[in-house]
Amino acid sequence: MRKSIVLIFTLLLLVLISGVSMAQDCASPDVLCVGLVTDVGEVDDKSFNQSAWEGVQRAGEELGATVEFIETQDAKDYATNIGLFAENGYDVIVTVGFALGQATAEAAAAYPNINFIGVDQFQGATVANVAGLIFPEDRAGFLAGALAGMMTQSGTIAAVLGTDLVPPVVAFKEGYENGARYVNWDIELISTYHPGGLDVAFTDPEWGATTARQAIDLGADVVFGAGGKTGNGALIETAGAEGVLCIGVDTDQWETVPEAHSCLVSSAMKLIVPGVFELVQAHVDGAFPGGNYVGDVGLAPFHDFDANVPQEVKDRLAEIERLLIDGQISTGYNPGG
Amino acid sequence: MSTLATTSKSSWRELLRYSGWIIAGLVVVASIIGYLSNAQVTTSMLASTLRQSTPLILGALCGLLCERTGVVNIGIEGQMLFSAFIGFLANVYTGNLVIAVAAAILAGMLVGGLHAFMAVYLKMDQIIAGTVINILALGLTGFFYTAGLTTEGKLQPINLGPLADLPLVGPVLFNNPPITYMAIILVFVMHYVLFFTQWGLRTRAVGEHPSAADTVGINVNRMRYINVIIAGGIAGLAGGFLTLEAVGSFERAMTNGRGFVALAVMIFGKWTPFGAWGAALLFGFASALQTQLQFIGTIEIPHQFIGMLPYVLTIVVLAGLVGRSRPPAAVGKPYETD
Amino acid sequence: MTTKTPTEPGQERLKQFLLAAAIPITAVLLAALIGAILLILSGADPIAAYSALIKGSFGSERAFGRTLEKATPLILGGLAVAFAFKGGLFNIGGQGQLLFGAIIAGALGFGISGLPFVIHMPLALLGGALAGALYATISGALKAFTGAHEVITTIMLNFIAINITDFLANGVWKDTSGIVARTPAILETAAIPRLGTNMPLGFFIAAFIAFLVWYLLFRTTLGFEIRTVGLNNHAAHYAGITVARITILTMGISGFLAGMGGAIETLGVVGRFQPGFNVGLGFDGITIALLARTNPLAVIPAAILIGAMQGGASQMQFDAKVSFEIIDVIQALILFFVSAEMIVRYILRIRADQGGSVTLSTGWGQG
Repeated sequence: MRKSIVLIFTLLLLVLISGVSMAQDCASPDVLCVGLVTDVGEVDDKSFNQSAWEGVQRAGEELGATVEFIETQDAKDYATNIGLFAENGYDVIVTVGFALGQATAEAAAAYPNINFIGVDQFQGATVANVAGLIFPEDRAGFLAGALAGMMTQSGTIAAVLGTDLVPPVVAFKEGYENGARYVNWDIELISTYHPGGLDVAFTDPEWGATTARQAIDLGADVVFGAGGKTGNGALIETAGAEGVLCIGVDTDQWETVPEAHSCLVSSAMKLIVPGVFELVQAHVDGAFPGGNYVGDVGLAPFHDFDANVPQEVKDRLAEIERLLIDGQISTGYNPGG
Repeated sequence: MSTLATTSKSSWRELLRYSGWIIAGLVVVASIIGYLSNAQVTTSMLASTLRQSTPLILGALCGLLCERTGVVNIGIEGQMLFSAFIGFLANVYTGNLVIAVAAAILAGMLVGGLHAFMAVYLKMDQIIAGTVINILALGLTGFFYTAGLTTEGKLQPINLGPLADLPLVGPVLFNNPPITYMAIILVFVMHYVLFFTQWGLRTRAVGEHPSAADTVGINVNRMRYINVIIAGGIAGLAGGFLTLEAVGSFERAMTNGRGFVALAVMIFGKWTPFGAWGAALLFGFASALQTQLQFIGTIEIPHQFIGMLPYVLTIVVLAGLVGRSRPPAAVGKPYETD
Repeated sequence: MTTKTPTEPGQERLKQFLLAAAIPITAVLLAALIGAILLILSGADPIAAYSALIKGSFGSERAFGRTLEKATPLILGGLAVAFAFKGGLFNIGGQGQLLFGAIIAGALGFGISGLPFVIHMPLALLGGALAGALYATISGALKAFTGAHEVITTIMLNFIAINITDFLANGVWKDTSGIVARTPAILETAAIPRLGTNMPLGFFIAAFIAFLVWYLLFRTTLGFEIRTVGLNNHAAHYAGITVARITILTMGISGFLAGMGGAIETLGVVGRFQPGFNVGLGFDGITIALLARTNPLAVIPAAILIGAMQGGASQMQFDAKVSFEIIDVIQALILFFVSAEMIVRYILRIRADQGGSVTLSTGWGQG
């Protein structure tokens, strides 16, 4: 009995030490390999990690790329994780989230032959092999706010938000509030950020839900949930409230949060999937654009609520979107100030 | 039987002392609300208070029963997380919320059993046992969770007829989903069981003076096993609250420290059910208040400072009013029969 | 095992040492075995996973350096918890103390200029450590003067620390050159360098501190007083020890250690304070302290073990497509088997030694 256990352990140890090396063909110039490093969190987060990964997967399908991801557990591993792709001959590395900006810039300097796509990473200076995929979230937020401002009956609308440590969240919030005021100056706005740190602000659905409930009890009849799973909690809670609408964020959350179908009128989208794909395509075409690459934003389809949204609201939204793009109205969001 | 009588009396005294605090707390709450002076605000804040206190009081009752029987439990967080996950899975695969709640409770009891096995049978240090449970739950639920699982629904409020039509207390107290009601009932049940039944007397005897309990024929380790497993079921209910009643879906690490706050609530309440309930309500109220203050938005204070409110308030009340708390004497010590 | 052969004292000691080492090694192997079963159940290849884990943590000089870097805050966080346990206190507040250490070290690192390295770096390091000490002293003083249980106050202070540091990093100390919430980068003169290309100096500082803590606890009067209070504060009181003073000092030193862990992270790894970069380190300290059974010297290998697992997790994901949560499961199992000696002793057929098992939770019950 005892001998056999010792034997098993010895064998196990030997096997472990001997190690198995993995064959990677990414070093070959003919093979296109795209790697993705997530911000802290999972690739299936129903939010920006997931959207970026879907963009990479689309490149895998349509461009025949070998695609792989690494989920980051500790923010201090960003460089390590990028390095794993870089040293295994990956051609394009996608890094998701503003927090990876510094690690991405450093890796780009160390590996000039690899192209980097930094989602949500504003580029202060243009580097040939880094494309910062950024979005005017304030514009999407402005449209969502205008929609909320026109749809509300009670005159009170709410926003349940992740944290103001993340610039895109602030942009969504400011845009939302200003958009609502633009169509309805007297509107009552109640917004809250999650009171915790970065590690919990986007992963606390119960806080999102209870906060949405508190807002609904205060008379809010449109709830904007903008904060990963925290926001999703707010959407699901709103779905259980009679006559209250909710607006999702980042992607068309009709697809990602089916529990919220009974309230989800639209989502303030940033189109990460096509943005990432276009940049990989540009790499293939040899026209990779260094510097900032501004992706599209907009409102998601109304789905089941299409009949509930009056035509004049739709027209007004189209009008506002045109004015925003032309620069005739401003979202009022100014990150510098 | 004379001991039973005296402890009952002293527990009443304890209750009276706490009711004093509860009244004092209510005065504070009322004055703040008076300041905000709005029926809608009052209702929404009190409803939020009760809701945010529910997982905390359930977690605290779990810890309380464990410690009263002499077993430290810092694994409440893990117990809640694991049972939240199992309850969620049961809901996904059966679509039956009753079965799902039962599954969450059973999962909690299972983890409680593991805790009892480590603490009582293996005589492992109980802080370590709790830590093992916390890390294990985080790892297992994260490892086996696959995204994209969705459920049909969650537990809905049960309207208690005419009671729910009462002004203010109606919507706050009598129109809640089932686990919230259960939590309130459990506070009273726990108080009754601990201080007015033979089982409670034995439980406390085992927690305070196990060798004396042994001498009068109480099976110390058996008492501990059973109590820790039952307590696990209560933590399981807290987990079920999160996935089956409050959110309706599971996320990795979604307990977000609530199990640790529950631990603090238990100590705050001096290891008594009503004390813990008062502490949980205080914490829930402070959380609701911070949300309300952000809603108002006119106060130019960075939201991080408003967000600290529940924690600062807890420390101030603890240091200023509650003071020293004494746990059961034999807590943390495995019972050795020589 | 029944035959008794007379042995030399030296041989006896070696045997004792080997037996002592056999338990943790067996515990790790048992944990790995159960982890392998889980991996197989989830459709992964455990051999590929474990070899990648080892490759990622010890496979190259850079990997080894990363392991030591990961181990550094774990050593200090572990020491903080272990030290408090020795004094009968349960410091769950390592996370908050570490955050304060990290941000104050960062502020001193970018805010003061013109100092040479030999002054600037130690100043920032000690400043961070002192910030952690002060923060923990709040809990110590509340315990000593009002009796407020340190478990509650440290848990609450953890949450408060997140809010305060976030506020500072997004407010007065924010790096205004960008929109990201973080402090400016520390100056070169405040940075903790690497030895050679990969070996983090911070690790050696932490290991040295572990020896100091051991010396303080077991070779000084203060250490004796702390341990006496930890064993029984009533007895300590009758022996003429001022329990309140020892309580405050114990918490303060414990916070000093955690704060230094945060300071080294800022000065040696991250290069600035940025919210989200110090998550969970304080809680890992509890695991480390328990793995080491509160022995300051045993904290070092325990931290290297856990640091290696965290350092190799990315490689494991990349090579074997195994998600990092399995690391948590294996950590929990290691802690279980190290502590559940009964099981390991049964497998190895070792009789229990005289010392018996540790009980840390005694401090819980002292009012």
